[in-house]
Amino acid sequence: MSIIHTTVELLAAGRTFCLATVASSGDERVAAGTKALILEDGTVEQATGVDALDAALGGAALEVLASRRRQTREVLPGVLVYFDILFQKTRLVVCGAGHIAIPLARFAREVGFEVTVIDDREDFASPERFPGCEVIARDFVPALRDLPMNRATYAVVITRGHEHDAECLAEILKRETGYVGLIGSRRRVAFVLEMLGRQGIPGSRLEDVFTPIGIPIGAESPEEIAVSIAAELVCMRRKGPRQARALKDSIRGLR
Amino acid sequence: MTDREFFEKLAECERDRLPVCAATIVRTFGSTPRETGAKMIITADGSTWGSVGGGCGENQVRSASLKCLLVTKKPLLLDVDLTDDLGTKGGDVCGGRMHILVEPYIWA
Repeated sequence: MSIIHTTVELLAAGRTFCLATVASSGDERVAAGTKALILEDGTVEQATGVDALDAALGGAALEVLASRRRQTREVLPGVLVYFDILFQKTRLVVCGAGHIAIPLARFAREVGFEVTVIDDREDFASPERFPGCEVIARDFVPALRDLPMNRATYAVVITRGHEHDAECLAEILKRETGYVGLIGSRRRVAFVLEMLGRQGIPGSRLEDVFTPIGIPIGAESPEEIAVSIAAELVCMRRKGPRQARALKDSIRGLR
Repeated sequence: MTDREFFEKLAECERDRLPVCAATIVRTFGSTPRETGAKMIITADGSTWGSVGGGCGENQVRSASLKCLLVTKKPLLLDVDLTDDLGTKGGDVCGGRMHILVEPYIWA
């Protein structure tokens, strides 16, 4: 199988890995364009066949994967290798197909998320309202239960009522996710989180929930709120949870 | 175009035995329109998928790709300077520099 096909299969399987390509070479044993695939656990899925090069690539690829920065390195004298980090595209699951969901699904798609929208009301969860998205018209709990979730899954809970918010969160927080955000006033949010705590969801998991949702930009209209949420999702994806929280807190501190 | 879409497109070209060039930004210096890892596919008739930044930089990539595909048949590491006169006249005023790896896929 060609290295391109293996790359496509690894991406489809949700793996994170490194594709190393010789960008230029002054070493006659190594041709420019030579490639190797290295998985996150250090396994060399496809080697170059040049022993000295393969030996150097494994360790360097692991350092690059750990740094989360794509980069070019000189791995042997005169041999420049570009290390590409490849991973599954982040999926945004939007619970609730109301006014905010429409611009949110659109903005999220435009900044590179794959989007799934769930609502139990068929006239709201209709594909025409969410072009390019996976739309599921079904009760929230069974719909969520059937969705694959992992660290590349971001969930935004914006249903029409706190009962639905609570049932969605209870389901989502049992699973592995990269981000969970909950919309609502401080009062409504506190009520929902307290209820989940009583149901036995661990406090550490409840603390993972981003709420109030979004970067505080003074958003009022559904579109503005969607911008605020989309900004938080981008910050989360690019910078991670610590910086996303710090950004929220520092803006709130300005008041 | 996401990375997955890029590699799926490349796999499709392989299946159809369509010769193409892949261009990838492998290093950037200063301010550039796209980040390291941005990718583009260029066919022999000059049509493209994806983007490595647009404007004059992309024109340079396109002509390098055609040369790789039709003449040298070997990868080329291209130095695209967005500070030069040509770029400025063409509107590329980002001010940075990028190394773009151009690789022909001719599918033996």
